Amino acid sequence: MILPKFDYKKAEDIAAAIALYERSKGRACYLAGGTDLIPLLKLRLSEPSAMIDLKGIPQLKTISRKGNSLVIGPNVTLFELKNHETVKDYFPALYESLDATSCETLQMRGTIGGNILQNTRCLLYNKSLDWRTARGFCYKMGGETCNVVPNAAACFSNYCSDNALSLLSLSASVKLAGPEGERKIKLEKLFSKDGRNPFTLKPGEILTEFHIPFKRSTGAYEKLRVRNAIDYPLLGVAVSMIGGKGKVCVGGIGPAPLVYDLKDLSGAGLKEVAQQARQEARPVSNTTLSAGYRKKMVNVLTQRAIKRALKEGK
Amino acid sequence: MKTIKVSFRVNDETVAFQVKPYETLLETLRERIDLIGSKEACGMGACGACTVIVDGIPLRSCLVLTPEVNGASITTVEGLAKDGNLHPLQEAFMEKGAVQCGFCTSGMIMTAKALLDRNKKPTQKEVIKTMSSNICRCTGYKKIVEAVEYAASRRTSAG
Ligand SMILES: Cc1cc2nc3c(=O)[nH]c(=O)nc-3n(C[C@H](O)[C@H](O)[C@H](O)COP(=O)(O)OP(=O)(O)OC[C@H]3O[C@@H](n4cnc5c(N)ncnc54)[C@H](O)[C@@H]3O)c2cc1C
Repeated sequence: MILPKFDYKKAEDIAAAIALYERSKGRACYLAGGTDLIPLLKLRLSEPSAMIDLKGIPQLKTISRKGNSLVIGPNVTLFELKNHETVKDYFPALYESLDATSCETLQMRGTIGGNILQNTRCLLYNKSLDWRTARGFCYKMGGETCNVVPNAAACFSNYCSDNALSLLSLSASVKLAGPEGERKIKLEKLFSKDGRNPFTLKPGEILTEFHIPFKRSTGAYEKLRVRNAIDYPLLGVAVSMIGGKGKVCVGGIGPAPLVYDLKDLSGAGLKEVAQQARQEARPVSNTTLSAGYRKKMVNVLTQRAIKRALKEGK
Repeated sequence: MKTIKVSFRVNDETVAFQVKPYETLLETLRERIDLIGSKEACGMGACGACTVIVDGIPLRSCLVLTPEVNGASITTVEGLAKDGNLHPLQEAFMEKGAVQCGFCTSGMIMTAKALLDRNKKPTQKEVIKTMSSNICRCTGYKKIVEAVEYAASRRTSAG
């Protein structure tokens, strides 16, 4: 499959990358591992004027302890992060979600930054231009309708990052740098909840750091997919527990993850959280599995993930 | 669009080209250097038939831009045989019948090579996990896993 025409630039530092973006008048796009972006370009779902390669920026590739946080550069690959000495021990939910992401080869190329900033997906969106033209453009392509749910007011595309769920369960935050300067926000605030444009990033902003509170947690990640190798999640649930309190994050359904606090660890308490997640998750017929099945599985996988997270804690 | 000068090593030879900024590594290998062992199947990163090893890491070459590998050292399936002798993995794939239509084979072998390069004696579980990065529509994987294990055992017994 042939790529559309674009220019290629490699940035040596963050300021240079932002300057390249500004010079492109907002038409360029940042490139990390390209495993999310390149397929989208091949389908003509994005046609940037240039790729600004971030992989030559050493600062974005490091993992370090700063104060009470583990600071992770966005260009660290999923495979490197999975095999980092602290991850399995301190953040088991993250270890499991990294391990369940795509496949080993893609984990060696895909980065954690690109993973969190991957675009939302839909069975009727990730298609060739010819297919989409014949069908008619939907909201996410700049059209005036949803092709999955007639008369819907919003886009139902699914956010399919496995690792956003575990990072949310670990109360991670992110640092951003852009033409207007730097800011640090909670990871939750990165999601706009609008499938057309799923992130609250400002034009030209680069994700520069992830911060995870450095506290030993117990946790688990449960993923629903058709093939246990390579596939994106059709539902994912991450749970992390620290000191008798936990966070439950449900994703792969709709444009942003759902996040719940887990305070009551009794059997009734977990059932309640699982039931609430099931009620609030709104799957529609835009994946290879039916909406009804995915909704039922929210309850099942949430309970399963919580039980595993609690058992590990003992 | 201006072309970009790119130079890298492939199978121990240095090559240099002016390439399109939007050219994939797979296109460069197949169309400029005639290294057609790496296949394009899905073209979307899902199947692994285009896997080559770049600086020790197996990559889907259909998702890599050629300008990204400037200065890199690349091994393709054509670079495995040495002095007329096939690589132990290639021998093992033949001996164990791990090839049917053959379209996935070079990608399978490159994925397996990267595994054995970083882990001389993988367990069966590790072999299965790594090899599930690649899709085969004919063999059902069993013989592929057997071949990788066989190649690993022969390599370790030969020292
Ligand atoms: C076959 C296949 C299966 C997959 N399965 C899964 C799966 O199971 N789970 C999953 O989560 N993902 C999956 N993926 C998606 C993808 O491989 C991963 O999400 C990967 O981690 C993306 O990282 P990348 O570095 O390749 O991102 P890229 O493609 O380089 O970038 C993705 C997006 O992030 C932006 N970006 C990247 N870095 C930055 C930064 N520092 N600042 C600002 N913007 C940035 C890019 O502009 C782009 O819009 C799959 C992909 C394929 C092809």
